[in-house]
Amino acid sequence: MFEVIKPGLETSVQDYPGRIGFLNQGFPPSGPMDSWSFRLANLLVGNHENTGALECQYTGPTLKFEKDHVISICGADMQPKIDGRSIPMWESIMVKSNQTLELGFTVTGARSYIAFSGGIDSEKWLGSQSTFHKAGVGGIDGYALKESQKISLGNSKGKIGRKIRAESIPDITNSGVWEIEVVRGPNDDWLDNAGYETFLKADWKLQARSDRTGFRLDGPSLSFNEKATNKSPEHGYEPSNIIDQGYPIGGINLAGQTPIILVNDGPSMGGFIVPFTVPSASFWKLGQAKPNEKFKFKEISVLEAQEMRSEQTSLCSMGSII
Amino acid sequence: MIVHYNPDEIGYIDLIKELKSLVKELKDNDDTIVNSRLFHFPTVYLDKWTKEAIEDYISKIALKKSDPEFIVELNNLDNVDHFVRVHSGTEYWVASLGFWPGLPFTMPLDPRCKLTAPKYNPPRTWTPKGTVGMGGSSTAIYPDRLPGGYQIFGRTPVPIWDPEKNFDVFKDSICLFRPGDRIKFIPCDYDEFEMIEKKVKEKTYKYDLIDEHKFSIKKYKQWLTQLDHNKKF
Repeated sequence: MFEVIKPGLETSVQDYPGRIGFLNQGFPPSGPMDSWSFRLANLLVGNHENTGALECQYTGPTLKFEKDHVISICGADMQPKIDGRSIPMWESIMVKSNQTLELGFTVTGARSYIAFSGGIDSEKWLGSQSTFHKAGVGGIDGYALKESQKISLGNSKGKIGRKIRAESIPDITNSGVWEIEVVRGPNDDWLDNAGYETFLKADWKLQARSDRTGFRLDGPSLSFNEKATNKSPEHGYEPSNIIDQGYPIGGINLAGQTPIILVNDGPSMGGFIVPFTVPSASFWKLGQAKPNEKFKFKEISVLEAQEMRSEQTSLCSMGSII
Repeated sequence: MIVHYNPDEIGYIDLIKELKSLVKELKDNDDTIVNSRLFHFPTVYLDKWTKEAIEDYISKIALKKSDPEFIVELNNLDNVDHFVRVHSGTEYWVASLGFWPGLPFTMPLDPRCKLTAPKYNPPRTWTPKGTVGMGGSSTAIYPDRLPGGYQIFGRTPVPIWDPEKNFDVFKDSICLFRPGDRIKFIPCDYDEFEMIEKKVKEKTYKYDLIDEHKFSIKKYKQWLTQLDHNKKF
């Protein structure tokens, strides 16, 4: 058990891959945005990769432990400390009873993951512990952690001193520029050629108004095909309007002229076109990008995207633990 | 249609092959009979709550015509009362759920009641819980207080999602609707709205639903051919 001394900006329970199989009722999967770091954190403490753990956004929490517990911290560097002394990341370590774990403001990346041996003992909701804040379901009472909550942990014993091979760690940097892979479509003929080209050539800036439902981007205007500008009124007035359709996870929604990447807690349907989609293997970059950083998009094929995913899956395995 | 799949279990090429063979097996859907529950939804049309949301939008975000009047103008109707008669004159087919847990996208089954309207640009930042609105030709009910883009004109006190499962109809799912259900909006006044709202709060409200209806596509198509298109609602 630990007590929440300070909750951090938005610290929530997530599991991997989240709430799967309920998109037909309108439930997004939720789950960790950087599932690469998340899975490694769980493996370090001897858990199955899908076990419930904490996602911390920008500023991490301060937690006081009741008993000795093995934990690990992966992802963004929030300069974690135990009782004021710095501790390493990407490694399993022991927090002793009555000690306090403190994560501060991030210095590299945006989301940090804290895994606990035995996992977090919270109720599953529609098959998953993942928090879906917007509807107040999952996690701890449906929302991010709050001050003075006491959270139960599982009883498994982890080993300390386990580390991740350097080549298996995602390259989270402070360069401020992210190259993000995209696959064209599902609405692959609504922009004109110049529109698709502009999208791929431009520097896009991640707006501060971005959260686990959507990442809004600032950049140039895009131009459309006749299909978008001359259509039946059911679609709506704007060139980017379309009869309400299902959205893929990672779909880049064009709302008017604002691209919004629909991420883990995003809407499952809506009435805007989706000219490109970010594949699941690139989601860790979205999870680690901060507002005002730049995105450059690189088009790949569906098969290349699936190849990337299987490479990432093989890195998120015990073979990466030393 | 959108298919979500786990690429760790099946790759893109195999999935396409699989879907194509499924599509080939599909037969003419005339003989299809769908289990379709019919729900009656008491609804205050031209209500004060959606009016407040529209006025708030106009004062803070963008100038626009009041939503019901805008729909009247675009669809060549006589006035807002005419709009209410047309909109409440048909059953709506629940085509899918999405955007938000339990939110139904529905289409009018009587083609004479088909109306169209564009979505808001930019979208509204809030919509009252239980609002009835339309965008394109689709009518939706907002399960909660949410942002939105549909033109709005009515409000129902009956909940369409219930994480606490206070009512029997939610025993299988916290979302009320399943694709293939039907909705009929029954215009009501503020007194009835408040009475139902009170019963919902006390958890004694009984959903007005006709269960286990069989909906035959063949009979529906036959009915369509017999419609009197000169009928005025």
